[in-house]
Amino acid sequence: MNILVLLAGVADNRYPLHEITLTANSALEEVGQTRRILSPFDEGALELALKLRDKNEEVRIDALVMGGVNADTLAKSVAAYKPDSLKILNLEPFRLWDAVLSAGQISSYVKSSGLKPDLIFVGREFGDLDEGSIPIVLAGELGLPYFSLTQFCEWKGSDVRLMRERGMRREWMTVTGGCLATVTNDKRNKLRHPLMKNVMMAKRQTIESVVQSVADEGQMLAKELSEPEVVARTGHCEMLAGSPREQAQALARYLKQATA
Amino acid sequence: MKSVNIESRVVCVIPAGWGMEAAEGALAAAQAVTRSEHKFDVLVVGEARDDGINRMAFRAGAQIVNAVELKGLAGHSADELASGLGQLLAGAGSNGEDLLFLTPPGPEGEELAAGMASYLKGQAVGRCQAIRLTDDGITATRSVWGGRKTLLLEVKSAPTFACLRAGKPELSDEPGTAVCHELEAEVVPFSTVSVDAEETGESLPPVESCKLVVSGGRGVGEDGFGLLEQIARKAKGTLGGSLPAVDAGMVPVVRQVGISGKFVNPALYFAVGISGTPQHLAGIGTEARIVAINKDPEAPIFSVAEVGVVGEWQELLPEVLEALEA
Repeated sequence: MNILVLLAGVADNRYPLHEITLTANSALEEVGQTRRILSPFDEGALELALKLRDKNEEVRIDALVMGGVNADTLAKSVAAYKPDSLKILNLEPFRLWDAVLSAGQISSYVKSSGLKPDLIFVGREFGDLDEGSIPIVLAGELGLPYFSLTQFCEWKGSDVRLMRERGMRREWMTVTGGCLATVTNDKRNKLRHPLMKNVMMAKRQTIESVVQSVADEGQMLAKELSEPEVVARTGHCEMLAGSPREQAQALARYLKQATA
Repeated sequence: MKSVNIESRVVCVIPAGWGMEAAEGALAAAQAVTRSEHKFDVLVVGEARDDGINRMAFRAGAQIVNAVELKGLAGHSADELASGLGQLLAGAGSNGEDLLFLTPPGPEGEELAAGMASYLKGQAVGRCQAIRLTDDGITATRSVWGGRKTLLLEVKSAPTFACLRAGKPELSDEPGTAVCHELEAEVVPFSTVSVDAEETGESLPPVESCKLVVSGGRGVGEDGFGLLEQIARKAKGTLGGSLPAVDAGMVPVVRQVGISGKFVNPALYFAVGISGTPQHLAGIGTEARIVAINKDPEAPIFSVAEVGVVGEWQELLPEVLEALEA
């Protein structure tokens, strides 16, 4: 089974965001100290692929890391998990806010690269600029059915089963004839720590970069990048005084009233 | 195939099987985009017509309500509906040039919007903070970089598919004057994926439909979440958590509250060890009262909470549980 893992990476939210500007031709310029890491959704996608390979030596994992700032460091963090192949995919133009353009570029690369994935794992949101549309549109471009918000996977005989939970239901899908699965964060797909020797080897590794260009600029242009509006909401918070027991008793009264 | 009837630029897509909250969310979005003019049409889609939703659409000011019964769908998941609606609109020769389709806010609505865009070769704008109609297109504002930046996008052409959270719709006391256009359509089932379902055995209610959500952050830890669950059960509420708590495996992802999780609007949101990031607060309705415990007196949660306690959860939660049991 060939598994393709698509990894976008996100800015590390433990640090202030680096400087980003938008140019007149709708391109992003990112400068300064950029820290880009795998998102929890990226990590889940990679871990699910590793879990399937752990149980079946015939699984091959191909990983594509999106280009952009700090792509080499990000790709080396992935290399430490020893995928069978790993490349940095640079999209030109790079407009991950445009799901249709980006999915078309990724799809074109997958089709032309000789990769023949039986299963694609991708985080439910593809990077900092996507809110979940890219994976769904990509499935359509590749003519694959999709299974969204996957939390867990397992082998059942020679088949792979994907699982998600929705409300009070647990849903299982058996992968037959190809599938794109979006992955969400779950305690069962937390990314393992790589072996230290593999981390050291990955640091010395040269990661191949490939480019997928299209002349089309897409139908969605970025016109303005700004600071977010502050949430306009004030609770005029009443701070409860007294001993912890008195505070707790007051809190319990609020909780009881809510469902009375 | 009988065609849907669309005359407005904005089309509100309501899957009948998703319930009244989804319908309200989609109608509120259509009202917000069309502002006071309220010129929008509605597609209510399901295996059977839902008169309750149709009536609400009339009262929300819809011009035309298309009550579409899709024959052949096995269920009403986002992928099946995207396939069915894609077939319906494309098969009727209506690719929706220059139309804006608004689906219910939330992860399933976002999936539906992207799926329809894929089928109809339109633009998937996804989860937006604001959408405006212009003379020659649409502009949309999106939160990017985890809520740390805002991006204004201009969609040049093609049908556009988006979600917008705008609260509840304004409903007129009058029944409305919309035309109801009923049609049935045979669609090819979305049969390539077969999903087996089973009960999870989960006994706490879902976060999105409970009057009381007892929610924790990562700092609360496994032990703290054990106490929070007991408190939720005792107070007849339910359990929620922040994204970092979900990442740490303390609470299931179906209980994640926030911009990339569930949107909740309970009577009371009990936030324990939650700092109050904009991404988390975006998942809590403005009508919800927030009561918070945090050891940091400067935590942003206190600027939005109605009642707060600065203290350690280890000390307070056992006392709260005892007080509830008394």
